[in-house]
Amino acid sequence: MISAAPYDPLTAEAAEDLGGRTRPRWFVEGARQALSGPMFVVAVSLLSVGGLARDAGFSVEIAVASTILLWAGPAQVLFFGAVAAKTSWPAIAVTISLSSVRFVPMVVSLLPMLRTKRTGLPTLMLAAHCIAVTVWAEGVRRIPLVPRDGRLAFFFGFSFICFLGTSISTAIGYVLIGELPRPLAACLLFMTPIYFVATLTRNAKRPIDRWALVLGLAMAPLTETFAPRGLDLMALGLVAGTGAWLIQRTLDARVSA
Amino acid sequence: MSEALDHGLWPWLALILFGFLPSEVWRMLSVFLARGIDESSPWLAWVRAVATALLAGVVGKLLLSPNGALATLPLWGRLGPLAVGMIAFFAIRRSLFAAILAGEAAIIAAGYWTN
Repeated sequence: MISAAPYDPLTAEAAEDLGGRTRPRWFVEGARQALSGPMFVVAVSLLSVGGLARDAGFSVEIAVASTILLWAGPAQVLFFGAVAAKTSWPAIAVTISLSSVRFVPMVVSLLPMLRTKRTGLPTLMLAAHCIAVTVWAEGVRRIPLVPRDGRLAFFFGFSFICFLGTSISTAIGYVLIGELPRPLAACLLFMTPIYFVATLTRNAKRPIDRWALVLGLAMAPLTETFAPRGLDLMALGLVAGTGAWLIQRTLDARVSA
Repeated sequence: MSEALDHGLWPWLALILFGFLPSEVWRMLSVFLARGIDESSPWLAWVRAVATALLAGVVGKLLLSPNGALATLPLWGRLGPLAVGMIAFFAIRRSLFAAILAGEAAIIAAGYWTN
């Protein structure tokens, strides 16, 4: 069933709405957009994980598999770092789990943008697996521009290219890391901070987004000293996010009063 | 330990049991949490603000307590390039590319300066 009407977000729920493209074309469009920049950022940010895996005594296959299965740079750094430090396995599992709590708000906010009434559970679970910080930050901005029925195809195309590029860079990092001069290694590690601050700033359209960004950054030194280890990031997210939300509510109330 | 890790199924089991499953459980739980929320829900604005703040916190921590080569730079050598990158971002039509290029150039300069 193909709607003859031009794309209109208000009637998007009513009929099959693909904005004039087929699903495979939306997959390719997602892949193209990932290749236009975001893929290189995730790829660079995962280079160091390969080196860590080698230092911890794992094979290159395990290093690449950790990228595909964990799909979370910080969790991978924790995993290989903890194994290298001979941490007990249960302690490793708990630390990893705590670091991945941060995916909850990301998945909960992105899935409602992606699914249609017909989307099945396995598809939703696969989509949830693809969500990591870069895919989330880019998805929040790009997905609303895609008509509803093309969104999952677009999202999977985008994620597929990110997985592919990052798997390759993990393997490259496995072979190369440790041989880079210090300023260049710092440059690779700095990619993540500068990219996320710029992306979040570009994504910020309303005061709530700007306040969440500013409060989140400002609270980082506080949680460093006050919050319990492992839970500090989640506490920061809840306090700074709720603060930003309250500010927006106050502003909205003032406008409507 | 290294020898045991090089052979057989153990490294795969370790990765899945102590890495993949403890991490993935949150994503799968979120699939169910997201069920009742639709795109226009006021809850979504709050959840998104929490996610944004969390990500900002991750960045803050990366710069405040860095590891690897970043840790060899003083604090000004990490925050300065971030400022340079963001100035370029706003100066050059809110360009992500400009921010990354300027920030990276600044951190390489800081790296050689403090060498």
